[in-house]
Amino acid sequence: MDNNWRIRLRRRFRPEGDPNLVRVRRRKAIVSAFSRRVTFLRLILLLVGYIWMVALPYPQLGRGIYIDENALQPGQVNTYWGWGDVHNSDRYLDDLERLRDSNATSEQRAQYLDTEFRKIGLFSSTQTYQFTSQDINGTNTYAILSSPRAPGVEAMIISASWLSRIDDGNGALNLRGVATVLALAKFLKQYSLWAKDLVFVVSDGYLDGMQAWLSAYHGTIQSNLEAERLEMSSGVVWTALNIDYPGHSFSHLGVFYEGLNGRLPNQDLMNSFHVICSRMGVPVVLYDHLDPRSYPDRRKELDWLPEWLPGALRNDPEVRAYAYNARNVWRHVVHQASGRGSGVHGLFHQFRIDAFTMFALPATGPHGFHALGRVVESTLRTSNNLLERLHASFFFYIMTAPNRFMKIGNFLPSAVLISVAMMFTGLKEWSDSGWTQETLRNAEKSTETQAPGWTRRPRPVLRALCIMISSHLLGVATYLLMNSGWDGQNSIGGMLVLTMACIFAFGVSAVCSKSDRGGAAPIASVLKALNLCFASTIISATTVLNFSLAASLAVFLGIPLSVSSTSKNLPLRASKFSLYLFLSLGWVLKHERLNWNWEIMGVWLLPFLWIVYFPLVLQAGIVCLL
Amino acid sequence: MSKRVVSAPHDLTTSSGFILPALVAARLALALLQPFDLTHDHHLSSPLTSYANLQEGIYLFKQDIDPYSGGIVRHSPLYLTLFTTILPNSRFSAALLWTLCDALGAYAMMNIYRARQGIKTSSRDGLVAAMYLLNPYLFLPSLALSTSSIENALVLLSIMFASQRKPSQTLLVYAFLLHVSLSSFLFLAPLLLLLISEPFSHLASPRAFSGDFKKLPPLLGEFAVCFISLTMASTLISGGFSWIGQTWGASLTLPDLTPNVGVWWYFFTEMFDHFRPFFLMVFSVHLLIYIAPICIKFQYDMLYAIFLLAGILGTFKAFPTLSDPGLFLSMISLFPETYPYLRYPIVTSLLHLHAALLLPLFHHLWLSQGTGNANFFYASTLVFACANGAAVIDCVWAGLRIAIGEEKEGIVIAQE
Repeated sequence: MDNNWRIRLRRRFRPEGDPNLVRVRRRKAIVSAFSRRVTFLRLILLLVGYIWMVALPYPQLGRGIYIDENALQPGQVNTYWGWGDVHNSDRYLDDLERLRDSNATSEQRAQYLDTEFRKIGLFSSTQTYQFTSQDINGTNTYAILSSPRAPGVEAMIISASWLSRIDDGNGALNLRGVATVLALAKFLKQYSLWAKDLVFVVSDGYLDGMQAWLSAYHGTIQSNLEAERLEMSSGVVWTALNIDYPGHSFSHLGVFYEGLNGRLPNQDLMNSFHVICSRMGVPVVLYDHLDPRSYPDRRKELDWLPEWLPGALRNDPEVRAYAYNARNVWRHVVHQASGRGSGVHGLFHQFRIDAFTMFALPATGPHGFHALGRVVESTLRTSNNLLERLHASFFFYIMTAPNRFMKIGNFLPSAVLISVAMMFTGLKEWSDSGWTQETLRNAEKSTETQAPGWTRRPRPVLRALCIMISSHLLGVATYLLMNSGWDGQNSIGGMLVLTMACIFAFGVSAVCSKSDRGGAAPIASVLKALNLCFASTIISATTVLNFSLAASLAVFLGIPLSVSSTSKNLPLRASKFSLYLFLSLGWVLKHERLNWNWEIMGVWLLPFLWIVYFPLVLQAGIVCLL
Repeated sequence: MSKRVVSAPHDLTTSSGFILPALVAARLALALLQPFDLTHDHHLSSPLTSYANLQEGIYLFKQDIDPYSGGIVRHSPLYLTLFTTILPNSRFSAALLWTLCDALGAYAMMNIYRARQGIKTSSRDGLVAAMYLLNPYLFLPSLALSTSSIENALVLLSIMFASQRKPSQTLLVYAFLLHVSLSSFLFLAPLLLLLISEPFSHLASPRAFSGDFKKLPPLLGEFAVCFISLTMASTLISGGFSWIGQTWGASLTLPDLTPNVGVWWYFFTEMFDHFRPFFLMVFSVHLLIYIAPICIKFQYDMLYAIFLLAGILGTFKAFPTLSDPGLFLSMISLFPETYPYLRYPIVTSLLHLHAALLLPLFHHLWLSQGTGNANFFYASTLVFACANGAAVIDCVWAGLRIAIGEEKEGIVIAQE
């Protein structure tokens, strides 16, 4: 019995007969099984990838937040911020409001802040800056509290920008945020427990001021920025807290965390903040998203689920949790994929500083300076505990709810699966283009009846590569064209680019159709194969750099590049091409904003779109024309 | 011969006359403009080839301080003496010199191809030169002024002289090469064998080794004389034997764990110190074990054996830069007859594409952005090693497979 079982097993793995023959047969069987199902497989992969993306907000995919770094010890200290400090904040606020009412200039404001910091007894200074390309200027003020317990090689920043993020820096003032920074400076000066320098920064404008200050602090050179050198400096900045308090009082503290170019702060910092806030009784939300489940009477304004949904579905707790998370994830994707970040804190990330903005959600109450001061004090104490930098594993996450997040393994595969599907499509196209079914010649030669044989045919790889390289060069050219002296004339520039793209595509297709050689694979299929493989590589490499961008690319490129194909019908070809043209250049409508981000803050989305995205879609358009 | 290969570069053939000068001029312009400072990039130069370390050594040497007493300078005394005597040492002259090295490399590649075909001039000359000069794995290290570009030029020059059967020149250049980069030892046997046999392609018709082994001892003797006199010169120049441990010893004992694109550094950062000697031995011997099998299997085509060994060296070397695998990849253009027999060229190219994107990306995540750690970059070097390994294996396969001829319907080759 036992013996019998063994023999059967051995037969299964080492069948009798020529082992080489068996091996060859097995390999052929595997290959043919795979190639028969590859269409099905890639459909499944695409489907699973897209479904996974849609399922990202599903609560079961995430997990509760926790503190990874034991040294942080959030919320373990007594806070001393009291009503006297709240009073100080109110006095500062009065002064600031007077400045606002008297239409004080940047210099006057900076002068006031500088004087106040000096009155507190801190080293303080101002910095003027000017962005030459965009006509933006202002004056920053900063003060340094040297650490009483350490030589000042490390520092923490408490900052507030003059403009609030509430309307994206369009004019609402962050007076209470600035007042909090001043009062905190006065308050924190009293304690000798700081192991890191504290740097207080009140930056002018919304993003521009902090960008100028940070560039000067870190000594980076930005060609379009004339920033005064900083008179004082401190150590390496590890953490930064940015305070945004535009309203009269607040009900929740909102966390904004996405940085420039998709960089995120270490999650431990935000988790500590969350723990501290919950100990202090201050509710935390993500962004300014209130949970509609907590406010049944404000459901209409907070819930995005449409009213025509059946009540059973609309009131289902799972669906509502999903809807709430989905709103958070969507906001995250928009902030991260645009590369612009979600506020002033985002500028810190480029210098390896973990930072986030605490946004005091405007409301009639119940919280104010008292709660905010205590929370900031405790958070500073927590980051003061750090002996080494926060761990490298806690930078890849998506916050789905204030107290829940998704680990990298739970969201990364969604985009990677789509890129794998594209890779398979490309490889199939590649192998198809290398073979042709020879029916005629074989039929003449062969005497016995047999299936038409497959023969190899050469692929015009070099020409396809030339098309790809020249289209990326076209991308470089258009990028240079659009970024040199087309200020305010984007419509003309856009038309010009459109014309260039059309000329390029038609030129390429004309040249290729003329020099088509007999017997070789059609250039369209080789181009499509290489285009898909390249796009797939780009997507999978981008996932770790900026997941949201990779996911957006997977959405915009995944299906469109896979279905590009030529057709005999001329109008159909032209309409297909124009669809691809629209897909490749539709984003130009937002060019001005993207250009601002690139010029002022170095958000590389614009060159990426010109040099990588636009040519990739254009190549698919050319495939349709060929 | 493949139809694809012959037909594809058709457009280039007519203009092969000026391709080399044009490309060299473009390279020179790029080197003189120096848009970015690449000299400190970990991919492009290793501690053994870095321009900054070379400058340090030259400075110490000029100040009459033993450059090898510290742990920084790992360049051969020959470099130090050349740069302090005959070669000018400035950024401008460096740009000229490194461009010249690349031009020499491309010229040597062209001549190797001609010698292999047994013709004075060929239609693929331009393409071969372009493959060397346009390979980003080669021109980026050259822009970074990594001495690996000089080493590559020396490798190609020695192969060129060997295929033109000029023993003295070959052995002199090779002795110099071995001096500046000890791991080039892999090329010794096949180069000598190439000198006594012929460079023509016999891949399609394998036969026993054709050379006369009696010619070998004098060649070995000549090489020994060259090598020993260079060694003595080095010792005289640096005033002692301390340079041996610092230059040759470095590629055997791996004293510097600066990250690079190879597979050694991470392995040895993770290792307990008492295992170090053993694994250093394993890693070094591992490189050597390929010499004999490849030289025996490809005894009818030593040039191909050298090519394969270059690929193995580029994958498993102690302190590689991008130019080591780059040399192998560019040398593929010398063997067009094998192209139709490559099994998975698209997979290899895609692996290289992934590696080329992931290497700088993960390097950035780890060292600039700070969101990743060393494991990220290590993972990308593994992808790179896989890409190089896949290329080598596929080239071995194609080199052997070509002897059996074109595939026929219903016939499969189970084992070569």
